Amino acid sequence: MAIVIQPYRPEHELAVADFNQRLRQAGEDQNMVFYRWAEPRWLPRTADSRIYNEFFVAVDGGIVRGGYALKTQEFFFPDGKIRSIGYYHHPLSEGIVDKAHAIVGTLLLRDAMQRATLLYCLGMGGYDNPLPRMLVRLGWAHCLVPFFFRVVNPGRFLRNMHTLRSSPLRNVVLDLAAYSGAGWAGSKLFQGYRAMLAPKSSADCQEVASFEDSDSARDAGAIWEKARTTCSFTAVHDGEALRVLYPTVGTHLRRIFAKRNGTTIGWAVVGERRKDAKYGNMRVASVVDCFALPEDHFAVVSCATRALEREGFDLILTNQSHEAWGRAFKAAGYLPGPSNFLFAASKKLAELLAPFAEVRPRMHLTRADGDGLPANF
Amino acid sequence: MTASTFEQVRSVASDIFGVPAEKITAESSPETIENWDSMQHLNLVLAVEEKFGVQLDPEDIEQMKNIGAVAKVVEKLQSASH
Repeated sequence: MAIVIQPYRPEHELAVADFNQRLRQAGEDQNMVFYRWAEPRWLPRTADSRIYNEFFVAVDGGIVRGGYALKTQEFFFPDGKIRSIGYYHHPLSEGIVDKAHAIVGTLLLRDAMQRATLLYCLGMGGYDNPLPRMLVRLGWAHCLVPFFFRVVNPGRFLRNMHTLRSSPLRNVVLDLAAYSGAGWAGSKLFQGYRAMLAPKSSADCQEVASFEDSDSARDAGAIWEKARTTCSFTAVHDGEALRVLYPTVGTHLRRIFAKRNGTTIGWAVVGERRKDAKYGNMRVASVVDCFALPEDHFAVVSCATRALEREGFDLILTNQSHEAWGRAFKAAGYLPGPSNFLFAASKKLAELLAPFAEVRPRMHLTRADGDGLPANF
Repeated sequence: MTASTFEQVRSVASDIFGVPAEKITAESSPETIENWDSMQHLNLVLAVEEKFGVQLDPEDIEQMKNIGAVAKVVEKLQSASH
């Protein structure tokens, strides 16, 4: 039988359930399953949608052997134009559990590249994983998106960070730091030092219920118009896009506005991450997305951070590719950490981002452009 | 499938999978070659494209289920371009 990659339709749902069952039985990560429903719950395609998800499945004689998702979204480019591009995400092939289907991974990627020649991938968990290795082999442009974290509760951080506890000696040292208060004191000293050096934020912070009301959408639209040219490459962040990306139902995301003299100067979307074993019992939040003029980045980061600290989170995470946003997060007491969050651009997309080394520092990519939204919140 | 095309494909596959050419037959597939996983399949696709100057569509890749099938796909694309 020939493998045919086709749009995922309701009549495939039973075959997808069987596919997921085979992956689970093979002992793969129990979360590594394809979408149960053919109709995307997040960003379904409608007649007038500019941002939408589509799912595709690889069908072999009625049996599903793999699938992928393709998000279509408008991006602002270095030449000042806005283009609709594809984001290839959640590819899954039966080849990971049965080598007889080794062909499927290549088929899925080639199919996506035909459907969207301007294609990118983001996240992917590090260069060692199969997908990024494939993309590098295909000659895609790629880079790491820097990762930053702010420890709000040092004691809980030191007790819970399993990745730091890689040896018995480290366990003892971290327990000592956690229970003696040395970790707390060190963290507060560092953040106090950072605060002395940081610019003073004179902004007022305000949480808004949604991007759907006219004032919020208008303010976000005005910031988009003013600030987009400070980015070389970024998803369109106008009021309409934000309303679609961050609806009030289905996620626990919060929208924080920074205002000065009554005028909105920037915004951030923040949220609590779902529980993840690597963070133990900590309450972990993310600054998912943000937008402002560079001179207002620090004010936005400060507002977002304060809102999350007030909620009692232990740790705040963010990924920011734009170097000016990175500086603002560092000024607000965030530390850079090792990133496994990769951006990769197809050759056709990379041609529009050339020279990549020069364009890269002003690309504005965040967790919102990656594969964890909204599943991780 | 001509012997010449098959020999050239076998040589490419031998390099990619790290298997002596004489152990590769027309029926060799991911089920019989240990290193033939999804990553190596992509490497095979790229190497075939480079070696024979052809562009493989998903429909062509889908047919590449064993070495003999790869050689047939190459011949089909070469004859179509002449």
